[in-house]
Amino acid sequence: MNDTILVVGAGPTGLSAAAGAASIGRNVVLVEKENVLGGAPILSGYAKLVPSGEWAKDAIGRMVRRVESDSRVTIHRATKVTRVEGDHGDFTCTLSNNQTVKAGAIILGTGFTHFDSINKPEWGFGTFEDVVTTTQVEQMVAAGKIACPSDGRVPQRVAILLCVGSRDRQIGREWCSKICCTVSTNLAMEIKEISPRTDVFIYYMDIRTFGLYEDKYYWKSQEEFKTKFVKARIAEVTKAPDGRLLVKGEDTLVKRPIVIPMDLVVHAIGMDPNADNPEIAKVFGVGLEKHGFLDRGEQYTSTFSSTRRGIYVGGAALAPEDIDTSISHGLAMAMRAVGELAGAVEKAA
Amino acid sequence: MPIHEKTLLAPEQVLTSDKLVVDGVDVSGHWNTMILPRTVTDYDPDFYQTIQKYGGGENVHRCWQCGSCTNSCTMYAINTDFNPRYWIYLVNLGMVSELLKDKDIIWQCVSCNKCTNICPKDVRPEGVMKALQHWMEDQGHVPKAKSTLFDEEFARQCLERGRIEDSEVMTKFFKKTGQNLMELATKGWLGIFVARMNKWNELKEGRIGRFLARMPILHPLHMALAIVFKPRTKSWGRTGEVLKQYVEEQKRVAHG
Repeated sequence: MNDTILVVGAGPTGLSAAAGAASIGRNVVLVEKENVLGGAPILSGYAKLVPSGEWAKDAIGRMVRRVESDSRVTIHRATKVTRVEGDHGDFTCTLSNNQTVKAGAIILGTGFTHFDSINKPEWGFGTFEDVVTTTQVEQMVAAGKIACPSDGRVPQRVAILLCVGSRDRQIGREWCSKICCTVSTNLAMEIKEISPRTDVFIYYMDIRTFGLYEDKYYWKSQEEFKTKFVKARIAEVTKAPDGRLLVKGEDTLVKRPIVIPMDLVVHAIGMDPNADNPEIAKVFGVGLEKHGFLDRGEQYTSTFSSTRRGIYVGGAALAPEDIDTSISHGLAMAMRAVGELAGAVEKAA
Repeated sequence: MPIHEKTLLAPEQVLTSDKLVVDGVDVSGHWNTMILPRTVTDYDPDFYQTIQKYGGGENVHRCWQCGSCTNSCTMYAINTDFNPRYWIYLVNLGMVSELLKDKDIIWQCVSCNKCTNICPKDVRPEGVMKALQHWMEDQGHVPKAKSTLFDEEFARQCLERGRIEDSEVMTKFFKKTGQNLMELATKGWLGIFVARMNKWNELKEGRIGRFLARMPILHPLHMALAIVFKPRTKSWGRTGEVLKQYVEEQKRVAHG
């Protein structure tokens, strides 16, 4: 029986799980495929986080340092798990750096992949320079400057298109990515803070700023920052002769076609299942659910269990998830992993 | 070929020539029907600020289009073209030409305020209706509403004399709105109205009774005297002028 916990993925979920298991005296091995810890918020250069308003590099940076400075946590960067043998309480894992890790339980915080807008060519990403993604605007905000990539001008008008890569049967994304509405309403405010004279339009089917994000993001964005909400799913983004972009669609509230000039078009990209999920499923012997996210086991008394005993899964590996909830998942998984191992030891004794 | 969703088109958008020959082919009648594009090609994103400067329009930008106002609307129940939700949307995106298509019915709001009470975002749609009407009057899109004419006469007397005289407000209002006071009193609702105010039922009996009921004596006498002498509030002096100046200044500040 081995009581070491193997944590896969060093994003908010994995960092939280690793710190959690270490805090109750367990040895943790943390494996991250990238060379940098922190996951999507760090790798994609997010600006301020919802709802704390803290810069991602500060907030997630603290999580990284907490794990790095913990003597119970061994970290493998730029490393993948290539083989998992054994069973709950006695796993033997082979890493891509040829080391072997013996662990009693495995926590998967393997996260998601941003939707690649190239899969919606009609919305102009990859065709027009001034069509960008929310991730790119996050980076602009973090750098303190909002500009059109084509010529560096400050946009007079920004259109944010919601549900890009979400709620779209045409491209096999039948889920709501949960956070894009909140992220977009927040970005609209951040754009306004940097460039008060820019008008921001959000093209929506529904606004799903869940829980407390309703008034703190949606209402605030509309009422204090004068973000315009237009009910239209854009059909096509094209270019006008003067170089500005044209968003074409039907405004369903006025029942009229629209062709509106914009300077910058932002895709509010959704959360895809991690592109590595087929590989992860194979290596760890866990199941995928119908959309391609990692599947859950029984939820009510075996919370965060995967389909394989001794392997736990949480955060955005399960489904689109926000950072705060992912952090809670990580801590809950540490509790489950350590607790179930202790139970197994008791039973054996 | 019928035009689907014809309700979406204004009649002037559908062009049909009775007689037309194109390249030697007779396409008279519905064969040559053309529809002008309905595409919205731009917004006026600051237009809502114009409406916000009119009393009642301050919260128009808060609307999220739930439709509670229209659903609860007294007027919508009678005329489905009366759609506050829609007008608020047009204000926020600045689709002014679309808005003006309904310019002749916006005044019909009866200020029951059911919309105000139900609105989850505290937009106060009733106030927006008022603000819209005032903006349209100021811009000359519509003639002054009867309520505006009433307000003007009311305010004029207040400023001039520091008080109003009911009968003068009434007569001037009826005159400005082209209503014949005598006809309304003898044949119309005004006579019935006065009769019903009369407390002595026996007076309503018989020819003379009915006449007397419609012709109260003392009150009109008092009113007539007031019209002739036009009494002012004591020590009113230049107060009215100063107030008038102030009101005009405030208007200039708000609407430029």
